[in-house]
Formats: sequence, structure tokens, C-alpha cells
Amino acid sequence: MNDCARHAPLIGARPGELSDEEARRLAEHLAACEACQARLADEEALSGMLSQALLDEANHRDFATFADGVMQRIGGGERRAGLLTRLGLWSRHHRAAAAFSALAPALAAVALVVYLGRAAAPEPMLVEVSAEGRGTILLETSEGPVVLLGDLDQGS
Amino acid sequence: MEADDLALVERARAGESEAFRTLVIRHQRRVYAVALGIVKDRDLAWDVAQEAFVRVHQHLGDFKGEASFSTWVLRIGAHLAIDAVRRERASSKEDIDDVMDADIERGSEGVLASALGNDPQKNLLRRELAEKMAEALAQLPEKHRTILVLREVEGLSYEELAERLGIHKGTVMSRLFHARKKMQAILRDYAGFSGAAGGEP
Repeated sequence: MNDCARHAPLIGARPGELSDEEARRLAEHLAACEACQARLADEEALSGMLSQALLDEANHRDFATFADGVMQRIGGGERRAGLLTRLGLWSRHHRAAAAFSALAPALAAVALVVYLGRAAAPEPMLVEVSAEGRGTILLETSEGPVVLLGDLDQGS
Repeated sequence: MEADDLALVERARAGESEAFRTLVIRHQRRVYAVALGIVKDRDLAWDVAQEAFVRVHQHLGDFKGEASFSTWVLRIGAHLAIDAVRRERASSKEDIDDVMDADIERGSEGVLASALGNDPQKNLLRRELAEKMAEALAQLPEKHRTILVLREVEGLSYEELAERLGIHKGTVMSRLFHARKKMQAILRDYAGFSGAAGGEP
């Protein structure tokens, strides 16, 4: 490895970043090497330009919504965390209610199945029995027969 | 200035959201600049920078004030940006850090320095190159972008870079050498100095 390959990586160090030995070797090399003097000059000429370039990029962008976005993210997180915390505390103090709450979806599903089953059941069968001018209606329901008494001629 | 930041941190800790908003506005562009330098993509950089402030807010209670607020939020932003490009980093492991004889270019060193100089009439070139710098940075491999941004924008020392990146100080210096060399080559191309040996474009 030649002298430049050993010393070029040391170029660009800030004061105090090189050991005394490294600093001494670099100084000796720079004194004798025009190519590395030129590398040091390039490094110094570009110093600070990258930082400024990236800040310029940032300054060209509209940041009007940036802080709002951050605050929304923070607010959303706090609201979610707050709700979960309150739910946790509530369930610890109301175990029975919490257990019922956990079962609520299952109970709702059972109720829905029963309702739909009944809704799909066949129409009640009406059987008319006549006796001495009075009409008797037998209503067949899923709970069993219901007998309705009335005057069939009424209103006719 | 830093005393103001500390006062704002205290107020934000007490639940004053406007105090935290002021801190965000004060540091948002710098955090975005660091993130942009590392991830390249503007929208991803925006998202990373916002997430950095969210993380900072979550850990306000941990802030001891030993480092400045600016250092703290920049560190978190850079960390998130590095995480965001981790996949790319895995794909560029073939870039070695050692500096070999073949890495030492001959003939083009000093070209930028003599062109930029301190002559006010050459400020136009300086401005043009500055505008191209972010573009040039984006062309570098992730590990070279990252180390340049951490060094030049976040201002980390060799020791801090070694700790942050989990590499030896010697590797920090050689990786910085390669990163600068590539950056300078791209800038010379932009300025029309390719292959020139110290002459004007």
C-alpha cells in the first residue's frame, strides 16, 4: 500500500479526532505530497455544502402541515392509549360485567338465529269451526293451538 | 436558545401540547434534512421525520437534558431513517471499506477546490454545485449516504460514528474517504470537470 492510500483517509479529521501519532504522520505526508494537499483542499472547499444543500431542500418544501401531522399522530396515540387504559381499569373492577360484555356478541348471534328461524317459520294455519252461528277460530302457533271465539256474522 | 428548548420540554412534559408543537416547528426542517439525506425519498423522509417527533414525545420523560434537544431528536430521526433503508443496506454489503492503492485517484484531486476557490465570481458555480449536492448524495450507496449525513449534517465525531454504526474508527475514516471520493466524482461530472486535471471546465 502506498503512502497516499494510508494517509488519504485521515484527511478531513477534526481537531482531536486523530491520535498524536496519526496527526504527526499525516502532517509529514501532506508536507511532501501535492496530491494529498489537493485532496485536503477539495475537502475544505466542499465543507458545509452538503449540510446546506439538504437544508435548502428542506426549506423549499412547504412545512405548513408537518406539525399538525405530528400532533395528530400524537393525539391519536394518546386517545387510543387512553381508551384502552380506561377499558382495562373498568374491566378489572367490573369482572361480571366484563364477562357479560365478552359474551355479548355470542348472545347477539344466538338471538339473531332464533329471530330468523321464527321469521322463516310457516304462516300459522287457521282452522274455522262453526257452532250455532258463532264462529270459532283455531290458530295453530309454534307455542301450540290458540282458540279464538267470535261471531262470524258480525260485520258481514 | 437551548434554554428555550429545555423550558419547552418541561412544559410539554406537563401536558402543554402547544409547547411541543413549538419544538416540532423549531427543529422539523433539520430532522427532515437528515432523514432525506439517508432515505432519499421525500415522502418517506417526511414520514420518518414526523415519526421521530412522535417517538420523542413518547419519551419526553426520559429526556435528561445531558445532550441538547436538537441532538436528541436528530439522533432519533437518523436512527429511524437508517432503519427505513435497512433492506438497501443489506444489498450493498459488497462495497468494501478498505482503501487500496487503486482507490487513490490521480489527476483529478484539487479540481473542485481550484474551481470553487474563494473568488466571489465563482460563487455561481458553488451555488450550482450546492443545488446538485442532494442529487449527488442520492446516487451513493446507502452506507455512504448515511455516514456522510451523520458526519456533515448531524456533525458526529469519528468516535460517535463508530459507536452509532457499530464499526471501528479506522472503518469510519475509510468509509468516509470512499463516500467523499464518490461524491466528488459525481460533482466533477456535473461541473464538467470529468477527466480534467486541474483545468477550468
